[in-house]
Amino acid sequence: MPTSLIPALDPAPLPGPPWLFQVLWVLTFLIHLLLVDTVLGGSLLAALSGLSGAARREVQTLVVGINTWTISLAITFAIAPLLFIQVVLGRFFYSATILVAWLWLGMLGLLTVGYYLNYLAKARLRRGRGAGVLLVVEALCFLGIAAVQVTVSLLHMQPDRWERVAGSVWAALADPTFVPRYLHFVLAAVALAGAMVAWVAVRRARKGGDAEALAAMARYGVRAALIATLLQLVDGFWLLLTLPEEVLRGFMRGGPATMVPLTIGILAGILLLVVLAQVADPLAVPNKVRRVAELTVGAVVFMVLTRHQLRGLYLAASRAGEQAQVTPQWGPLALFLAVFVVCVALAVWAVVKAVRDRPAPGEEAA
Amino acid sequence: MDYPLWNLGLGGGVLIGIVAVAHVLVSHFAIGGGFAIAVLETLAVRRRDPAWRALARRSSLMLILVSTVFGAISGVGIWVTIGLVQPAATSALIHNYVWGWAAEWGFFILEVVTALAYYATWDKVRPRTHLAIIWLYFFAAFMSLVIIQGILSFMLTPGRWVETHSFWDGIFNPSYLPGLVLRTGICLLLAGAYLTLAAQREASSGSRVAMVRLLAGLQVAGALLAYAGYRWWEHVLSSSVRAIFLGEKALLPALASTRHLVLWALALYLLLALFAVAAPRLHRWPTAVAALLVAFAFFGGYERLREGARKPFVIRDFMFANGILVSEIGDLDQRGVLSKARWAAREASGPDAKGMAVFKAECASCHTIDGYLSIRKLVAPVDPDMLNGILATMREEGSEYSAAGYVHQGHVATEKLDYPLMPPLVGTDEEVQALATYLLTLRPSHVAEVTHAN
Repeated sequence: MPTSLIPALDPAPLPGPPWLFQVLWVLTFLIHLLLVDTVLGGSLLAALSGLSGAARREVQTLVVGINTWTISLAITFAIAPLLFIQVVLGRFFYSATILVAWLWLGMLGLLTVGYYLNYLAKARLRRGRGAGVLLVVEALCFLGIAAVQVTVSLLHMQPDRWERVAGSVWAALADPTFVPRYLHFVLAAVALAGAMVAWVAVRRARKGGDAEALAAMARYGVRAALIATLLQLVDGFWLLLTLPEEVLRGFMRGGPATMVPLTIGILAGILLLVVLAQVADPLAVPNKVRRVAELTVGAVVFMVLTRHQLRGLYLAASRAGEQAQVTPQWGPLALFLAVFVVCVALAVWAVVKAVRDRPAPGEEAA
Repeated sequence: MDYPLWNLGLGGGVLIGIVAVAHVLVSHFAIGGGFAIAVLETLAVRRRDPAWRALARRSSLMLILVSTVFGAISGVGIWVTIGLVQPAATSALIHNYVWGWAAEWGFFILEVVTALAYYATWDKVRPRTHLAIIWLYFFAAFMSLVIIQGILSFMLTPGRWVETHSFWDGIFNPSYLPGLVLRTGICLLLAGAYLTLAAQREASSGSRVAMVRLLAGLQVAGALLAYAGYRWWEHVLSSSVRAIFLGEKALLPALASTRHLVLWALALYLLLALFAVAAPRLHRWPTAVAALLVAFAFFGGYERLREGARKPFVIRDFMFANGILVSEIGDLDQRGVLSKARWAAREASGPDAKGMAVFKAECASCHTIDGYLSIRKLVAPVDPDMLNGILATMREEGSEYSAAGYVHQGHVATEKLDYPLMPPLVGTDEEVQALATYLLTLRPSHVAEVTHAN
């Protein structure tokens, strides 16, 4: 491909040390991804909750309730990685999004529909009515958004495919890694959400509640996590094998820096399978269910690192010789850090107060 | 300009305008609404008045649905849209203000969490805690405005930043404070109008009248603040910007009309608010709906004015609407605009490929062929000599920019140019000639000749 189609580096200097942008980018993306996995996986589990037997309504109510918060937070936490990718890789990122502009823009429509459907489903469930169709459409919206994200993610790091995609947008889907990568994303989300559903059921059972429904809910979550993780192991290797040769070679040659996160991620997945296989009656083994949730989150953490390293390898040739000037803006950076710490502290305070501050008997409530 | 091109029939600027106006309406309402609800609940707690509490509660659902749902999505929508339509300008802004945006993001987190916590804790927590959460929400929402106003106003009045490229010079630019006062007024007047509408559902006439009277005070304060901010904003604009929409011979008559609309809408809003103060009992659905509509008209008009007044720049005195930097005019005249606009060169085809490529690189960010600001319509009445003359003048104006011939008080005095609303034409002689040839092929007479010959 004519490398000349890659736009020139922005002449403005980087306003901070490059390593800092990388760290902030990965950290904020990780939080965003955990929230996105909860939303996507949760929506799928809610849409398929007919498979859960007696727990159908519990699963649906739980997911729509959690989604009210997690969709908002997932969008809010998308802003930071979106900022940092533009600073570091703006010329690749903008080009990829423009090439699939309508899909990228359409993502907003899907998000709006998916989010409002969640509120609609919540209202219907509260009134004791069914919300099955709404939840299926909501899940489809989030699956569509995931497909757009995977498309842009693959496209921005492969400028050699831009020319073809400029000719036909659908060429963006012809990437051999698209299907395994998309499945990798969706399966991780289902595993995470399954672990969450099981964990919530276990906690609720400890406080009392409908034991039969909660047992069914926990079993549904564990089963979903188990099936998703099993498929993930197969898909993970499929994805590895479809990577471009030079990327795979670069990854293998990376030594401990690249191999350690990947190995830990895979081991976490295998360990997760072992633990899940031992959970026949989730309510009887609450510690194991908690372990499942921890291992799922752990696997996502290391896979995010691997994902970031792969991006570097994909783009190595295109960015060879790139020398961005750096002129740190220390004052504004300090402002950001101070605001961030204060705001997160205040947000935590607000949530803690919201959860704990209950009026005494006879006292007035807000 | 060296990015892929998105051929959007309605014009990229129009799309940005639609998304941006939707977002600013919602985001300003989210701030003013937070303030108004905090005031209402504070009064409800002090007076132990269930009707006021009910209004605050009803309105808080709207706040959630608008602020954390639509506001959050449309906010990301602005990023998505400007990245698609103006990638070079977005990249320039992000390199200068990433820490400002990141700080604003910190306030977003607090805003979203407190909004959700507030709505979820009706009937559950002590009143004092509930009030603390809504006031915290308002603080976070307002602080996000305090930051973003710096970046928004920078694009029109970059001030000393053009020389220093300092973050703080850019943020605290000449129109920062006036715009902040104006926007604070807008937050109040939007919230006042909406909540007055919501108060109409109150069954008790006495409670409704008291609510309308209180909210009318908010509306009057908002309108006066907005008016003061608007006048101050106009006052600090450079003469080149003012020339676009002010004066008897405004350079852009459509924008001058928008200004009239803005001022009339605000005047009408103030009258309706005063009516609500004087006769709260008579201020019912029709006048309340009218107040909300004129508030939309005022704010939408102002945003249109602010965006339009940047012509021919996207960041005034720094980057033109087509992504070309003022500082690179000389270089592109030497090397050719197509040396940078690789995607435009790739997309062009046919016998007039070069001219088409120059058109895509320099003109297509504002002009479409047959749609928005149709270039075919513009060249229809032009003969070859006239067109060559126009293009030559536009090219010479590039030299004026690079030579800073018209610089006045640190700004390029665009109003002294023959084409003050258009970026100058840059590129080699050959490229300019190719553009002229291509544009002539678009004329209906040319199309007719070709059809006849075939």
